[in-house]
Parts: sequence; structure tokens; C-alpha cells
Amino acid sequence: MIDRFRKLLKLIRLDFYHQADEHLNPYFTFANYNKIWAIGILLLGLTALVPLITVAVIHYQLIQKSVDSELILRTERLTSNARRAVSFFMEERLNALRFTVNEIEYAQLTSPEHLSEVLRNIKLGFGGLSDLSVISPTGTQVVYAGPFNLEGRNYSDQHWFIECRKNNYYVSEVFRGYRDVPHIIIAVKSFRADNTFFILRATLETERLIQTLTSYETGKHADIFLVNLSGIIQTPSKHHGSIFEKMTLLPVPKYSPRTQTITVSDGQRQSIAGYAFISTPIADTPFILMVIKQKEGMTAVWDELLSKINWFVGLCVITILIVITITCTFMVNKMFMADKDKAETLALVEQNCQLASVGQLAAGVAHEINNPLALINETAGYIKDLFTIAETYHQDDELMENIDSILEAVERCGRITGQLLGFARKFDIKIQKINLKEIIFDVLNFHNKEAEYRNIKVNVDIPEENIEIESDRGKLQQILLNLVNNAFQAIDEGCRLDIIAKREGLDSVVISISDNGCGMPEETLPKIFEPFFTTKERGKGTGLGLAITSGLVKKLHGNISVKSKQNEGTTFTITLPIRTQEELRDNENSFGG
Amino acid sequence: MKILLVDDEKKFAIMLSKRLALRGIDVDVVFTGEDAVKKTEINRYDVAILDVKMPGIGGIKLRRKLIELNSEMKIIFLTGHGSESDFKIGSAEAACYLSKPLHIETLIKILHKVAG
Repeated sequence: MIDRFRKLLKLIRLDFYHQADEHLNPYFTFANYNKIWAIGILLLGLTALVPLITVAVIHYQLIQKSVDSELILRTERLTSNARRAVSFFMEERLNALRFTVNEIEYAQLTSPEHLSEVLRNIKLGFGGLSDLSVISPTGTQVVYAGPFNLEGRNYSDQHWFIECRKNNYYVSEVFRGYRDVPHIIIAVKSFRADNTFFILRATLETERLIQTLTSYETGKHADIFLVNLSGIIQTPSKHHGSIFEKMTLLPVPKYSPRTQTITVSDGQRQSIAGYAFISTPIADTPFILMVIKQKEGMTAVWDELLSKINWFVGLCVITILIVITITCTFMVNKMFMADKDKAETLALVEQNCQLASVGQLAAGVAHEINNPLALINETAGYIKDLFTIAETYHQDDELMENIDSILEAVERCGRITGQLLGFARKFDIKIQKINLKEIIFDVLNFHNKEAEYRNIKVNVDIPEENIEIESDRGKLQQILLNLVNNAFQAIDEGCRLDIIAKREGLDSVVISISDNGCGMPEETLPKIFEPFFTTKERGKGTGLGLAITSGLVKKLHGNISVKSKQNEGTTFTITLPIRTQEELRDNENSFGG
Repeated sequence: MKILLVDDEKKFAIMLSKRLALRGIDVDVVFTGEDAVKKTEINRYDVAILDVKMPGIGGIKLRRKLIELNSEMKIIFLTGHGSESDFKIGSAEAACYLSKPLHIETLIKILHKVAG
């Protein structure tokens, strides 16, 4: 469990954060991995998140728009329906009065009993009427039928009387009147046979009108009510003021013969307001129907959906960011590690080159010093000889002692230059006679145990017993060791390794090392002698083994080639000259003197 | 025993020849390969001590020429470099191969040994 957690943690650990040793810096392909990491996250993040957020915003706006238009449509429909109902209510009652004045003779109407009869019938047919009265052209109430006796009262100076006389019909605003009860007056003017007129007036209870309005189920977020032309509320409103008060929220709308919808805002909430001026075919009324819907309450379902979308988008964004961060970290880590390996190898190669040049320098210095040293040696030796052998001079112990110390110093210097030359020799080619069979078995000795454990059959075929070549033993050994190592890594248990060595022509030998292991794909063959090319897992191969091997073979004036087939095996063939010395000897200037 | 010493380092050659003479060895000294060939044409030397690297005819070429003139002559190479490759080639062709600075007693021993 802890191991698994550690592995997970390793995946997102910023290995590149503390860049490797400073001396490796010149060998890195990329200088700043932190920057690469940050840019990677930024670019990937932008590529993934910008479209997601754009789509979410567009979707959001689309929902908002469709909610708005749906709300407007519903408000408009409700307003339109309610307008028809209220208009019809008024029209119906006006028509009832018109029918009465047309149907019944004036004489009959002015009979109190008959008028009471008419009132009862209209109440039965339409309801909502509380009284009925006939008014003379002078404004005096002639007859009255209803609960209050208002007979003889004069209305000549009243607004409704003047208006009705002028327009033939009249519908009043809601007002309290003498009885302090909200009511509406409707009146119809009619002419008698002698061409004088009279007015039939009725009082409407607002109760019936309110019922008509409230029959539209509007819910708690919607309000439906009537206002008069100056914005005074006429029927009860839930949210926009009491009856007979000025309507809050919005001013009196402009006249329009059709139903209209507008969006209004009180600073905190937005509402959709539908309004319609109520009129009947025979008379206009002083009423405006108002339908006001608060957006907030009506869009609850949509709001819930939006909140779900927001949550989903938020989660997506977080997930994308986490995945991108982990992926970027992982990839940049891998890149950094590969680059670091490369840098380390290059540094090592450079160090080796430096060592080689130090070796050459040391050899040069040693060589230059050896000649004067030899002269000092011989001169001091000769002086000593003069005393000891020739006896030209008398024995002088002190002088002898001094000469001996000179000779001793020369010997010491000689030892030092010898050592310096020995160091340089590591990079030199040392030619000696080598028995091919011996050196091959020497190399195989390293692998005896492994071959035994892994049940690998090693076959050595050398037809001629004593093939001797002149070459560099150490380098040839390294070449063979590298190739045999490679073969052992390529083969599985129970496989075979064949080594064949034979003469080819008069002056060369051929050594071939074949295995029946995993082989290599054809396309990789041209690359395998290139430095840093490897087919092994990271960390297992440097990609230098075969490059070094090929370099060594060339140093020994030989050739190396490879044949391989995937899943069938690989054969490396080296051709070496039998007498390397001959070639080197021609180049006499390469030797010291 | 008569020997020929060839080295372009004149002072070294003279000093060494004097020391060998003191030890009873008959030494002729020359400083170039050309002079060495001339000397060998006249005299019969038992051993020739040759510097490997000299201007003009180098030690290895000189050896071949001298052997042509006197096939019984033994050759000892001398070098200041003493690299392994020089040593191997030198010792393959010559009776002996010595690097500078020399130990005179060792040289005497070797001379006696190669001259038989």
C-alpha cells in the first residue's frame, strides 16, 4: 500500500526541479526544464479548457435566453387571456343594461316594482350588480332599486353623469362612493319617444371582477391586478401596493391597443410585466390589466440545472488540470532523465578524451626529458669513471658521494619518466603475437559459469590449431568480450552461441560470433555501430558498447559487420590482419628515438 | 669486441663511448645513419648500438642496411621514448632494446651476452 503510494508520488515528483550537477550543464539539450514544464501545462491547459469554458458559457447564455423568451411568452398569453375575460365581463354588463333600456318602456322602467323585478332578473342572469337606478336628463334620480334608498338625489355635477351624457356609455373606475364600499358604476344613455333622454345606471360589486382575475392561478411569484389610467391600483395586488394606492415598480405604461410585455427591474430583482388596456366594443374602460411575474421565482428549475452544469464544468476543469499536470510532470521527468543520461555519458567521453590527451602530453614530456637525462647520466657516470676506472684523479670520497647522488637523482627521474610513459601506453596499441584459440577461450572463461547456469551451449570451431596473429591483446580481448557479452544478453535459456575462427586468404583471419537469440529488426542494423544507439531498456545499455567495439576493430586495421534476422539470431563478423606490424612499420616516424 | 655507436645526440654518444672505452671496449662513434653505413663498409663490427629515431636514416631502416653489409652483426636499439609498441617492434628485430637513461653495467652485460 505504502509502496504503491510512493510509486504514485514518484510519478508527480519534479525530478528536474533541482537540475543535475553544474558541470553537466553544457551537455544538456534543454537548459530549463522548469520552464518547459510550466509552458507544457499552460499550453495543454489552454487547449483543453478554452473550448470547454467557451461551450459552457454559450450554453449558459442559450439557456438564459430561452428561459427569458419562454417567460415572456407565458406572461403575454396570461395577460391576453385575462384581458379577454375582463373585457367580456364589462361588455356583458353594459350589454345587459343596453338590452334593458331597449326592451323595456320608460314608463315601465320608472315603476319601482318593475325596476326591482329587472334588477332581480339581471342579478340572476349575470350577478355582481347591487343596485339599478334611472336618472333624468337633469341628473335627478327618478327611480331606485337596491338596498339603499337614494331616490331624489341629484347627480348633475358628477363626472360619470357628464361623461355618460356625452358618450352614451360609461364605465367608472373603482371608487368607494357614499357607502364606502369599492364599486364600479356603469351607465347607459337611452332616448325616449319625445326625444328626451334618460340614463340607466347600475352599481357593480368589485367582488365578481376580483374573482374573475384571481381565477387565473398565478402562483406566489406572479401578480395580476387592474390599475386605472393614472396607475392607481383597482383590485388587490400581492406585491405591488394596496388598493387605491399608486402602483409601485413601474409607471403607467403607454397606451397600446394590443397586449404588451416589458422587462422591469427594481434594482434587486428582474420581473416580466405584461399589460393590456381594457376596452369593450361599445365603450372604453379606465382600466389597465397588469400581470407581473418575478423572474427569480419562475426560473428555479432552470437555476438548478445551471448549478448542475456549473458543478460538472468545475469538476471537469479540475480533473483536466490534475491529469495534465501529472502527464506533463511524467513526460518532462522522462525527458530530463534521458537528457541527463546523455549529458553524463558525454561528460564521461570528454573526460576520457582529456585523459588520453594528458597521456599524450605526459609521453611527450617524458620523451623530451629522457634525452637530457641520458646525457646527465653519461656525463656524471664518466666523471665517476675517471676517478674509479681511469684513476686519472685521486680518489675523493666526497666527490664520489656527490656524483653518486647525481646518478641517483637521474635514476629517480628516469623512473618518473618511465611511469609517465607507462600511463601513456594505456592508449597505445601494443602489438604482440596472439594465439587466436587461446584468446577466445580466455574470453569465454569469463562466461563459463553463466553458460552453465543458463544452459547455453557454446560451440567453438577453430579448424586450424595454431592461428597466430600479431595484434593488440588487450584490445582484441575487449572486442571479443563485448561481442560475447552482447550475445549472452540477446539469448534465452537453452540457446546456442557459435564462435568460428579461420584464416581467410594469406593475410587475414575471420572471427564470427553467432547466436540464435532474439535478433534485431533490419532497419536498426545500419545504426547499431553509432554511438548512443541502444535497443536495451533505459539504464541497461549506454549505446556505446558496439560503437567502442567498432572503433577498436578499426584501430587494429580490421573490419566488423553484422547480419541479423528478428527472432532468428545475430552474427557479428570481424576480419583482422594477421600481421598488423607490417603496416605499422612502414610508418616509421611514429616511433620515438 | 668492436662496436659501433650511432646516435644524433653527440654529447651523449661521446660520453657513452668514453665510458665504454674505459671498460675496455673498442667503440666507434658516428652521429648519422649515413656515417654509420660508411663505417660499416670499412670496419667489421660485432655489435651496433642504434638510436631508433634519428634525422635522415632512422634506426630501423639503418638496421636493415647494416645487416645487408654485415649479416653477423648484432643490433641493440636505444630509445628515449620507450613506448610499448616501439619496444615490441624493436625487440622483434633487434637482439635487444634499451631505453634511455641507461645503466652502464646493464649495457656491458648485454653487450657481452649478444656478442657471445
